Amino acid sequence: MSDTGAGGTRTPHAGDDAAADDNVVDLLMRQHGDIRNLFDEVETTSGDARRDAFRRLVRLLAVHETAEEEVVHPFARRNVTGGEQVVAERLEEERLAKETLAELDGMDPEDPGFLPKLLLLRTDVQKHARAEERYEFTHILRTADPAGLAAMAKAVKAAEATAPTHPHPGVESGAANLAAGPLAALMDRTRDAVRKAMGGS
Amino acid sequence: MSFNPLEQRGIPLDRQLRNWRELDVEPVDPDHGDPYTRCRVITMNGIEVEAILFSHQLARHCPDPEVKRQLARTRYIEAQQQKVVNWLLPGVASVLETTIAYEQVAVDLTAWVARMEPDPYLQQAYQFGVLEDFDHLYRYANLYEMIEHRKAEAIVDQLTEVMPGRPTKYHHRDPVDNVRDPYDRTRTDPLSKLHALTIMSTEQQTMNFYMNVGPTYMEPIARRLYQEIGLIEEEHVTHYESLVDPGETWWEQLVNHEYNECYLYHSFMEQESDPKVKAVWELHLNMELEHLHVACDLMRRHDGREPEEVLAPELPPVMTFEPNKAYLRELLATQMDLTTLGAGYVRDAHERFEKLQEAIHGGEAPPSEQVIDEHREMFGREYRLETEGEHPDPAMRQG
Repeated sequence: MSDTGAGGTRTPHAGDDAAADDNVVDLLMRQHGDIRNLFDEVETTSGDARRDAFRRLVRLLAVHETAEEEVVHPFARRNVTGGEQVVAERLEEERLAKETLAELDGMDPEDPGFLPKLLLLRTDVQKHARAEERYEFTHILRTADPAGLAAMAKAVKAAEATAPTHPHPGVESGAANLAAGPLAALMDRTRDAVRKAMGGS
Repeated sequence: MSFNPLEQRGIPLDRQLRNWRELDVEPVDPDHGDPYTRCRVITMNGIEVEAILFSHQLARHCPDPEVKRQLARTRYIEAQQQKVVNWLLPGVASVLETTIAYEQVAVDLTAWVARMEPDPYLQQAYQFGVLEDFDHLYRYANLYEMIEHRKAEAIVDQLTEVMPGRPTKYHHRDPVDNVRDPYDRTRTDPLSKLHALTIMSTEQQTMNFYMNVGPTYMEPIARRLYQEIGLIEEEHVTHYESLVDPGETWWEQLVNHEYNECYLYHSFMEQESDPKVKAVWELHLNMELEHLHVACDLMRRHDGREPEEVLAPELPPVMTFEPNKAYLRELLATQMDLTTLGAGYVRDAHERFEKLQEAIHGGEAPPSEQVIDEHREMFGREYRLETEGEHPDPAMRQG
């Protein structure tokens, strides 16, 4: 399903490459690409394949945004000059995206209104991601030392582990979805995992 | 459709200025647009940048203040055209995404020009060059997946294949071997002049782009790869600009530039799938027709010649963005191991080539090799997009 056909190579998903993942910015930038890949997959599939791809997209977005809110934004707020304002702008973008995401989450992916709303979300998410890369990540790289970047990467990885975004053909049933839980519960679980990884602060 | 720009009138020059609202164009969609629309945007940006730079050079050699003012008037409009064209690119695209689109332009535009070029010596120059841009696309595509976890096929679609061409490490030649022989302006097909000007302009823009965006990357491998390929783009500009007859007068060159802009805007208007972009091509064509008339008047006045003597009687068939997969595979099978010697081509690594290679590589694998190694370490494979089967050269197939 996530095979790309021609090359026969699977589209990479968060964490499933052999990268050292010792730099939170590199890791989050790759996740931005993973999110974009999943949007592609939702758009180009239909029926159960689309439902499955959308579930994975929702999970990755939830995990990614929660991890950013818990790990990256607090760091930027504390350590970057003007960080308060930069983060406030990012949070507002995230809030809007989450609203759209929640609306989509309650819709059937076959609903005629689904795809137009998904495209709106995609545009917002993409703008948000680039804004982070340009106005927030750049400053984090300048301010954080290698140990700090690695510690933040570890926390993001812990978030990822709470909701795997890999496709599990055959297992991707109602039961698996139920286990992942609704959006809000997933975000809570992710938040707990991140805080634990960050040393319980 | 037969179209002779010399017989058409466009928008009068004093009515071509656009206000901020008119300059504020809506960019193309980075995820759902036609990849060849983006290729046309990148091509026309390169053409407009060359128009501006050429006009500045001409003005610096021009002692007559009235002519300088005339050039400034047209150039200001051309600067607005460049702003509109290049601002069609979306701000959410990353530099690397745009880079891959630049290489798609270099591959499919140069391949098309090579296919259509009537002069065998010039054709060989394009065939030689395209296998290098083809390899650059493959190297950047591997970098793109490493940094952004995205596959280049999300940018080039299935229109252009991505696999090794002539390996980038072999593009570093002694500078004297990059200089070609020019066509003869009195005998060459007018189409050949347009081809040379077009490819020279797009390669020049690619050179300018890489030399400026390369250092904005933080990843060491990205910085180094842009440096290496940026240097090769300089070789390509040397290669293609030397094809143009230096005996053309400044005014003749100006007329050729304006004529080529008419040709390309007309070509792209004919094939554009995006209606908003098509409207830009149409508007700009109508502006260029007038720029051409201004240039023709200058040529008549200063050279005492008629522009018809140097131009085609009508526009050649439209320059087209389309897949060139079979043609490129034929070149991959037959011309991978070529290098240049003087103004010609040889299959052997000659002494001058070896000497430069040794000096520039300093006994290490260059960034273009490292990027593939690092990608393999990260994913256990390389990134390729081989839609028509395995690589035509058995030595380049994946083990």
